[in-house]
Amino acid sequence: MTTDHILQVRGVSKSFDGIRAVNEASFEVERGSITGLIGPNGAGKTTMFNLVSGFLRPNRGTILFDGQRIDGRAGHVIARAGLVRTFQIPRVLTRLTVLENMMLAAKHQPGETFGAALLMPGRVAKRERQVREQAIRLLELIRLTRLANDYAGTLSGGQRKLLEFGRALMTEPRMVLLDEPMAGVNPALALQLLEHILELRASEGTTFCVIEHDMEAVMAISDRIVVMDEGTVIAVGLPEEIQKNERVIDAYLGRSGEEPEPGSRLQVES
Amino acid sequence: MAIFNLPFWTYVGVIAGIYTIFALGLYVQDALTGLPNFGHVAFMALAAYGMAILIIRLNVPLPIAATGGVLAAVGFGLLLGIPSLRLRADYLAIVTVAGSEMVRYLALNLQDLTGGALGSIGMLGPSNLAQYNTDWDNFLSPITATLTRLLGSGIANRDFTMLLIVWLLTLVLMLLLWVMVRSPWGRVLRSIRENEAAAEAVGKNVFGYKLQVLVLGAILGAIAGLLLAWEIGVFSPDDYQPTVTFYAYLILILGGTTRLWAVPVGAVLFGILYSGTRFLNFFPLSLIDSGDRAYLRLLIVGFLLIVLMAVRPQGLLGNRKELLIQ
Amino acid sequence: MFDQFVQLLVNGLITGSILALTGVGATLVFGIQRIANFAHGDYMTVGAYVAFVVNVAFHQNLIVAAFCGMVAVAVFAVIAHYSLFRPLRGRGFVAISIISFGLSLLIRNLIFLFGGSAVRQYAVSQSAVYVIGFVRLSPGQAVAIAVALVVAPLTAWFLARTRVGKRMRAVADNRDLAAVAGIDIERIAVYVWIFAGALAGLGGVMLGLEQGTFDPNLGVDPLFLIFTTVVLGGIGSAYGALFAGFALGLAMELSTWQALAGGLGSQYKPVLAFVVLIVILLYRPQGLFGRARVL
Repeated sequence: MTTDHILQVRGVSKSFDGIRAVNEASFEVERGSITGLIGPNGAGKTTMFNLVSGFLRPNRGTILFDGQRIDGRAGHVIARAGLVRTFQIPRVLTRLTVLENMMLAAKHQPGETFGAALLMPGRVAKRERQVREQAIRLLELIRLTRLANDYAGTLSGGQRKLLEFGRALMTEPRMVLLDEPMAGVNPALALQLLEHILELRASEGTTFCVIEHDMEAVMAISDRIVVMDEGTVIAVGLPEEIQKNERVIDAYLGRSGEEPEPGSRLQVES
Repeated sequence: MAIFNLPFWTYVGVIAGIYTIFALGLYVQDALTGLPNFGHVAFMALAAYGMAILIIRLNVPLPIAATGGVLAAVGFGLLLGIPSLRLRADYLAIVTVAGSEMVRYLALNLQDLTGGALGSIGMLGPSNLAQYNTDWDNFLSPITATLTRLLGSGIANRDFTMLLIVWLLTLVLMLLLWVMVRSPWGRVLRSIRENEAAAEAVGKNVFGYKLQVLVLGAILGAIAGLLLAWEIGVFSPDDYQPTVTFYAYLILILGGTTRLWAVPVGAVLFGILYSGTRFLNFFPLSLIDSGDRAYLRLLIVGFLLIVLMAVRPQGLLGNRKELLIQ
Repeated sequence: MFDQFVQLLVNGLITGSILALTGVGATLVFGIQRIANFAHGDYMTVGAYVAFVVNVAFHQNLIVAAFCGMVAVAVFAVIAHYSLFRPLRGRGFVAISIISFGLSLLIRNLIFLFGGSAVRQYAVSQSAVYVIGFVRLSPGQAVAIAVALVVAPLTAWFLARTRVGKRMRAVADNRDLAAVAGIDIERIAVYVWIFAGALAGLGGVMLGLEQGTFDPNLGVDPLFLIFTTVVLGGIGSAYGALFAGFALGLAMELSTWQALAGGLGSQYKPVLAFVVLIVILLYRPQGLFGRARVL
């Protein structure tokens, strides 16, 4: 196979207190593709994101990003390597302004080193200007410019989602894991987000992996869909194929209640 | 004593300056980065004891002994800090205060090393009066002499010299910190305070930054400890109870946790409040004899801690807006 | 060797019972309110002093005095809950801890100002010694043991068999589940303070008896031992605290046994507790019987 896979997940398992949240899951993501990750609640999707992004360490299996092993590496190391994730419930820095939230995420900031501001103030100031410009440009893209100097804590849920997205983009990532980017965002903005994703993929070749419950959106935007259920990958394929896949339909509808009983599965709130 | 007694207020000024540096160490850890440290006083204790032990028992010259004291504080901070930094805020708070109490308890009981309950004067055994301050006093006296010639002995004395040195140092430290806090480095720290996982997710090495902050806090606490030991000339384990850490918290709350420049304001206010109790000579407080003034002081501290945290947690100069967003 | 062992065992049981009884109340409070009450040691002091006044100034026997001490602290704890801890709960753990520390300073120094710094003792002989086999006990210690032997099983029964006791344990164990099951969390929280306050007061009296003499600093050193007991047993686990209190008390006393390579110097007993506390927090923060909470 000569497909260029930017992300390869092989036989990954993760247990909490004896409960297997992810069970021998394997899948691959092609470079420059938009891959949807779907599955009923409790399937282990967010746990998978946590494992891939370094917020959890797998008990078994390997994860390769661009050919390099990243399983077990720290979250910040993986982010610096170009693999960035957003959170299901947005984690904004409440007492920093929206602009500061964005500027934090920029790469290569010499000013973040201890003492740098004292020893090389010119260089630090220069990079700050560049970072500020980049942040303002991105804020325009996600239509949050007028909130730039407001504390992020005053933002609504949908605005926070956008900020999460914008912050991820500030890191100039090669791959972005989006955890329910459209939940709570109004339809117009959600559409905008989808357009941004397509645009970024076209212009920068950024790869996206998206967890979403909005089936229409996921099917429309994804090149490929990965379906998880009860911790394993049960199906991989084109959107049309997945929609007709018996196992997938079963997973979603086969149980009388789609929600698992409390305590039957541990979902790590990221 | 008359209320406008210059030597007294000079002394208060020295203490306020020293406590500013001490509170700055706590500011960097908790107010800026969100790492509570209820054991901050341990840095003071270790620096003072480290310096005194090196001078008294090993005849080490002052500058090296001072450095040794700071290194002792930093070493302890790393020893306890490295495993603790990943703990949740509440567990971290308890570990840190347990750590500082352990230090105090060891200082109390390792009598041969530390002089036990007698403190620094007991370091050479019960019959010798141990002294660590000679070199520092020798350093101060020519300066004091010059100042006395220039300003007269009404103003200039040893405490006045200390006042100048301490506040000069405080100013320098604050300027350095101010630049650093406003820089991208400061932004990373604040992001760790607000949401660690988010900072990690955009590529910041959260653990590494926490370590930096811990070391910086230890150094500031150590400097304060050294200056206090040199000012008073003697110390004992009783001087390093958790109450002292909470003085620093009170200072932060008084001045306001959102601004660096509020810290010296809080420290001066604290100094006035603390020392001013001796001037409360009106009824009914005049019924309290001077020996009991210490209890009154602590009562006021306790009362203020409660009232301020309840009513004005952003402090006198703080930004209420920032605090409301929780 | 062996006689020292038995003596240390008995000493350990006394210390252990004080820690266990005070710890049970503390762990329920810490578990339900999610606070660390830095004034808990001073609650013990209040109990000791109220009992002292009743015992020495009003010439009542120790049982009446202890009971008064327990009631006083229970009332005080409830007042503190309604006036401080409940309204300020949303401020966060660090803020509440600072407030509780302020409360601790307030209590201790009020006692110093109004009660004086003089060392106090109960109307119990300080010089008599009871000798039972290998064991030497002061009358104060004997009373403390007697109290422990009665109260500890009572407490265990209360927690296991009464409705209130069971509910307290349920809320401490899993607050959300208990709320879903229809338990009135606010009401239980108040009961827990009454329970914890009363036991802290009793613990203070027992400590005063065990030490022989005491002053307003009575609660300062035990505070950390209480914290250690709570953390060791698992925050929120009542039985855990009972077990941990006895375990800690025994460990501290027995560590000085000469058969153990000369034994730990007795002044280092608290250091053992500190080390236990730090190690547990670092490597098993849920303690022996607590639930591992995911963040």
